[in-house]
Amino acid sequence: MTQLILFNVFNGLIIGAFYALMALGLSMILNLSGVINFAHGGFLAIGAYLAYSLTPYIGFWGALAVAPILTAIIGLLVERVLIRRLYGRDPLYSLLLTFGLAFMIEDGTRYLWGPETLPFTIPDWLASPLSSDFFFLTGYRVFMVVLVLVTVGALFLVLNRTRLGIRIRAGSDDLETVSVLGVNVRILRNLNFGLGIYLAGLAGVLAAGMLGLQPTIGNELIMPSFVAIIVGGLGSLPGTLLGGLLIGVASGVTAVFFPSASEAVIYVMMGLVLLIRPRGLLGEEGRVL
Amino acid sequence: MSLLKVEQVSRRFGSLVAVDQVSMTVEPGEFRAVIGPNGAGKTTFFNLISGFLLPTSGRILFDDQDVTAVKPANRVKLGMARTFQVTEIFPELSVRENLRIPVEVAAGHRLKPWQSRADARAMDERVDELLQRSGLTGKAGRLAGELSHGDQRATEIMMAIALNPRLLLLDEPTAGMGDQETYDVTQLIRKLHREQKLTVVLIEHDMRVVFHLADRVMVLAEGQLLAEGTPDEIAADDAVQEAYLGAEAETA
Amino acid sequence: MNSTLNRQIANALIWALLLTMPYWIGFVGGYTSLASRVVVLALAAMSLNFLLGFTGVLSFGHAAYFGIGAYGVGMTIKYLAPSTPLGILVGMGVAAAAAAIIGTLIVRLRSVYFAMVTIAFGQVFYFIAYRWNAVTGGDDGLSGWRTLPLDFGIGKLDIAGQPLTFYYFVLALFAVAVGIMALLLRSPFGRTLLAIRENERRARFLGIPVEQHIWMSWLISCVFVSLAGTLYALLNNFADPHDLRWDQSGDFVIMAVLGGMRSFWGPLIGAAIFVVLQDYISSQTENWMSFIGLFFVLIVLFFPRGVVGLLRRKAAS
Repeated sequence: MTQLILFNVFNGLIIGAFYALMALGLSMILNLSGVINFAHGGFLAIGAYLAYSLTPYIGFWGALAVAPILTAIIGLLVERVLIRRLYGRDPLYSLLLTFGLAFMIEDGTRYLWGPETLPFTIPDWLASPLSSDFFFLTGYRVFMVVLVLVTVGALFLVLNRTRLGIRIRAGSDDLETVSVLGVNVRILRNLNFGLGIYLAGLAGVLAAGMLGLQPTIGNELIMPSFVAIIVGGLGSLPGTLLGGLLIGVASGVTAVFFPSASEAVIYVMMGLVLLIRPRGLLGEEGRVL
Repeated sequence: MSLLKVEQVSRRFGSLVAVDQVSMTVEPGEFRAVIGPNGAGKTTFFNLISGFLLPTSGRILFDDQDVTAVKPANRVKLGMARTFQVTEIFPELSVRENLRIPVEVAAGHRLKPWQSRADARAMDERVDELLQRSGLTGKAGRLAGELSHGDQRATEIMMAIALNPRLLLLDEPTAGMGDQETYDVTQLIRKLHREQKLTVVLIEHDMRVVFHLADRVMVLAEGQLLAEGTPDEIAADDAVQEAYLGAEAETA
Repeated sequence: MNSTLNRQIANALIWALLLTMPYWIGFVGGYTSLASRVVVLALAAMSLNFLLGFTGVLSFGHAAYFGIGAYGVGMTIKYLAPSTPLGILVGMGVAAAAAAIIGTLIVRLRSVYFAMVTIAFGQVFYFIAYRWNAVTGGDDGLSGWRTLPLDFGIGKLDIAGQPLTFYYFVLALFAVAVGIMALLLRSPFGRTLLAIRENERRARFLGIPVEQHIWMSWLISCVFVSLAGTLYALLNNFADPHDLRWDQSGDFVIMAVLGGMRSFWGPLIGAAIFVVLQDYISSQTENWMSFIGLFFVLIVLFFPRGVVGLLRRKAAS
């Protein structure tokens, strides 16, 4: 029993790490540009399929390094060509646009790579369990958690220490002042979008290694990412991280006792948070009303 | 008996004390102006009275009732109405509809899913009367967002009047206006104050407006009460002169 | 006064077209069931627009209540009692209860956050329908029931027997629902909703308890969407988990935008265009999703005011 619970907590942590990786990108874009990127799951799929196609040439590690960057470049282009036109307009329109994009990306990946589940091969030594007592601790799972932690650490370092990061954070608080201070908001939003999509692409490569590839691979991760943002607190990136891990673990633990409720439990958590603390666990005051 | 009594209110934003232990008593029928240099805490003070913000400490009494934490919608019910520094109207509705909404709210009809003919007529008449008093009758059918700045301001003031308030709170009603518009709006406010013996608290930047309208003037500087008195007393006050001229010299 | 006359002419024209649709839709390549689908989805889009266009609140989760209506009527007929009207009432009642509870949790949120939470909550119902296999039929949907004749005591009306009868059954309920919404929008209550859409802060300081009014508008909107959901299930003799999903919510929003959110009839026009187009595209290509997605993008970029917005602009210039 202990092992079962431990297994599910760990499993939840992995899923939570995915949610967090997705939600952090979504949250960054939402905070700076006021856009809910519905197509975020689509970008995740793009990252996964690019890695699949690159692996034969540059191997797993090469794909892990290159695919997220290519995904981010596609993100930069999409922001430049489409999403940029909608800033300052009713948020309804950017929602509908990214909604349409999500459809197109899903269908596009299906067209290019086929509807069947494709296997994504990871290095052998990563695929084997680390210890026979804890069979679930495969090297890949541990590796994923470590990589997500390193990435998130690097992200917060970028946001807190680099000029770009500090500008992104300042712009998320008060865009007007930042633009008056001479920061080019267009470029800032573009780069911020690319950074968010990079995270989605990375999550895609990692997810492919665990779940295999499907055109709908991102769909199951996008809703929980919304929940992570709301539970963690609107406008707070540490909150988003916390929210992602929390709902991941919660659904992991629920899976032990009520397997069929493991998805619904995160929405119950969201309801409770909204009831008791509408701005979210670490949310800023004033974003709600 | 005083209508509005503000007792030692303070409001902090982090480490900044925007309003620091300010008290004020306004008598029924009085026209009170609150002035002060930029950043003196006037608008924060005003937002505390109207319920837009909660004070960190202190009490606000309206008609001897503690309203410190009463929500804006309920303050309206008690008889407080306000306008905003940046005109807040319903831009894509006609002037008539802009006025009709507060008229119906004041009549307690806000939840009514239908309206009798008699009610509709009564509401129309009240709207007509408000239009006439403000000189907006000819523009009743126009969209409020298409009106001139001065007319929009007049619409907003009449929306507040439509609520039959006992206390009208005006936040820099002539901000950003030319001379003619400033004059028109000032005349309208004066007329409304006289006609209904309305109690008014006004924040204003333009000294001509203040001296033209106010019975008593209160001066805030750096969040604190600096002076209080009749317009003439305030004009002669050295501390006020210094605060104003000092501040103006710095910003200039 | 000219605009009142214009509006009356437009109303008369729309009702005339709706009343005769089964007789002319064949000439434009349609069929009677497609006409029923247009009217049902138009009701859904118009109900959504009560909240979206006339209260200014961005809901992206209306499919949940549409789907609750669909499953409500199907499950009532299948498990509870063989009565179509009872099924409709149960579907609407359950949707109303769900909307009332969720409404209290979300009325303090605005704009994109409101949208995000409504989508996320919508997923709960999707998962219930998807997971509760034994009762809901899971991924396969709820089948094994069918629309039953209306029993008036003195005689029965078999609404499911003929597509034409069903069309007029749908149109009658559509007329009642749309009539109620139109009356509400012209009432003092309706004007407070416009006030909230136009300027929430001003509305609040005019003494309107904004959260309470948004909650009521949300509830009204969800209840009428659930009515549309019940009719949709009765039309298909089937409830599909897809009815509850977020992409269905997106379809409703795009219908409202495509027709014109600021207009009462706009979403009807949007629904008609969308339904016919979707019917056509999905019969022509396997990659219909790409086309629908592209359609969303093009509307947002080039047609944000919708058909009615465009007509009004032309009339003004």
